[in-house]
Amino acid sequence: MTGLLLFALLAQNFEQRGFIENQSFFYPQKAPNDSAQVVDQSAIRWEASYKVAPWLKLSGTLDARADTHRQVDRNARLDLDDRTAQRPALSLRELNATVHKGKVTAEFGRQIIRWGKTDILTPTDRFAPKDYLSSVVDSDFLAVPAARITIAAAKDSLDAIWQTWFTPSRIPLLNQRWTALNGVTVVDVGARYPGRSQFGLRWNHIAPRYEYSLSYFDGFNNLPLFDASFDPATATARAQRFYPSMRMYGADAAIPLPWLTLKGEAGYFTSTTPGAQDYVLYVIQVERQVKEWSLAGGYAGEAVTDGAGNPLSFTPDRGFSKSFVGHATLTIDVNRSLTVETAVRSAGSFVRFEYSQAFGEHWRVTPGVAWIRGEITDFLGQYHRNSYASLGVRYSF
Amino acid sequence: MSKVLAGFLLAACFATAQEPRQIMEEVQRRQRSESQHYEGTLEVIGNGSRIATKRWVFDRIGAFGASKGMLRFTVPAEVKGVGLLIVNHTGRASDQWLWRPNIGREQRIALQDRSTRFFGTDFSFEDLEERDVAQFDYKLLGDENNAWKLQSTPRKSSQYTYGYLWVKKDNYTIVKVESYNKKGLVRVIDYRDFELAKGIWTARTIEVADVTRNSRTTLKYDKLEYNLPMKDGDFTLDALRRGP
Repeated sequence: MTGLLLFALLAQNFEQRGFIENQSFFYPQKAPNDSAQVVDQSAIRWEASYKVAPWLKLSGTLDARADTHRQVDRNARLDLDDRTAQRPALSLRELNATVHKGKVTAEFGRQIIRWGKTDILTPTDRFAPKDYLSSVVDSDFLAVPAARITIAAAKDSLDAIWQTWFTPSRIPLLNQRWTALNGVTVVDVGARYPGRSQFGLRWNHIAPRYEYSLSYFDGFNNLPLFDASFDPATATARAQRFYPSMRMYGADAAIPLPWLTLKGEAGYFTSTTPGAQDYVLYVIQVERQVKEWSLAGGYAGEAVTDGAGNPLSFTPDRGFSKSFVGHATLTIDVNRSLTVETAVRSAGSFVRFEYSQAFGEHWRVTPGVAWIRGEITDFLGQYHRNSYASLGVRYSF
Repeated sequence: MSKVLAGFLLAACFATAQEPRQIMEEVQRRQRSESQHYEGTLEVIGNGSRIATKRWVFDRIGAFGASKGMLRFTVPAEVKGVGLLIVNHTGRASDQWLWRPNIGREQRIALQDRSTRFFGTDFSFEDLEERDVAQFDYKLLGDENNAWKLQSTPRKSSQYTYGYLWVKKDNYTIVKVESYNKKGLVRVIDYRDFELAKGIWTARTIEVADVTRNSRTTLKYDKLEYNLPMKDGDFTLDALRRGP
């Protein structure tokens, strides 16, 4: 009886949710370094949290994955730091403790941290590495090990983050289609990771007719540059990833106007690493709801202020700049929606359609199409053979 | 007996002589509480058949105009954790922020976007606000079925140009609201299954009909409680992100 009572009390403070998902990608064209035209991947995600006390909550997320294209490691060890080139088969995606007292909230451990206000491209989102393994135009966020302290009042909040252990973005595998090499064989010889921690501060202010943030980041770019040596006899390059130092001075704002909402976000990035440029990334976008349509569109721009740059890099954040970007969602009814996302540049573009329908309380089916066009010299255009259709089936619990 | 009859007559005279604003202020006075908590079950019904069921937990601190509300979905699993923070103001429309765990950022709901349906239900974001009577002009139109029929016209920005309210004379509860925009009738809200909870007459069932879409949503209150101890710090953007 006492055991049952104790169990009931514990269950009251326990929350969980998750999903089982299968995603299939169908590519009409082969790529020079990747002949696979059908890729299938499955994932199980389980999120749990337990409120130990009104001021203390423990949260964790566990991922289990498998696929047909060796994007997932076949070794079934539990991964704790998300640094591997392949996705781990078993991963502790998040594990953190949240302590809250008065105006102060402290979160310690692996956690997803998001900054910024704009969509599609978010220059100030510096603690949010991404997983680009399956698609450069549709990526997922990775958690980082960090201590985050937020002091929040009614109108102002200050966010201080100390990231102790570097987590890189997971870039496409060199022998697969999302690395466009055009006849050159590249051997991945690993990565040099930064030795020191990263730090960031963000102050957010809310006013009746606008809100804005100022942010500062001192750390490293989670997207790599490459050190490469090339053997012309075998047309083989050996590439080592490294992550340039980065300082960011950022700002973002949202201003609801009578007919639309104006959002802006900008970051000025500097680096002391040779081969890394100093530059400004900015996004101006407008948003508007029209009946069941949610519309957002704008321009993402870039201006290089110093440095010649390293031609061997993987920088989708800058790759999406100098683009007109747009996002539209139609909520057909409580169960069905249609999403369109696009980026249009002078020499490359992509558009992605996604229809999503729920069946009952647990099932959701999401077919989609991504169409990528452009010239080989353009960041988006280089993936012109990678247009695809996709089908996702998810069971949420 | 004659004293009782006289009392009734006096009350009836007082009731009929009331100004519309007095009626609405009395409605608001009787609904006033320091806080409110309930668990709601929503059924969305389109073309005559149920197409979705959702559940949320709602907490409110403060009262009309100056209140703050936090709404969190608990069912179905795919929207579990989605939250809405509503900060009401006496002199203007509320501020609202939406939190989606899968995006990991809060999104401010702009004033012009309040007419959008809330997560596919027939409630719009504006319908989830708790506006003070001072934000409307009222006109008494007459009596219907032992209820006053009033016309309300928003003084501040709203998707609605005017509305009709029916207020029961015996307990000053709103039993029906019809909301109109420039094109005509948009929403009909029916309040049913009234119960006295901690001295406050509360509708345990609210049905919202979107006339333009031939769709309706029924919200049933469960575990309703008033005047629970709540902290202001649990109604901030940080609390929205932190979760329950």
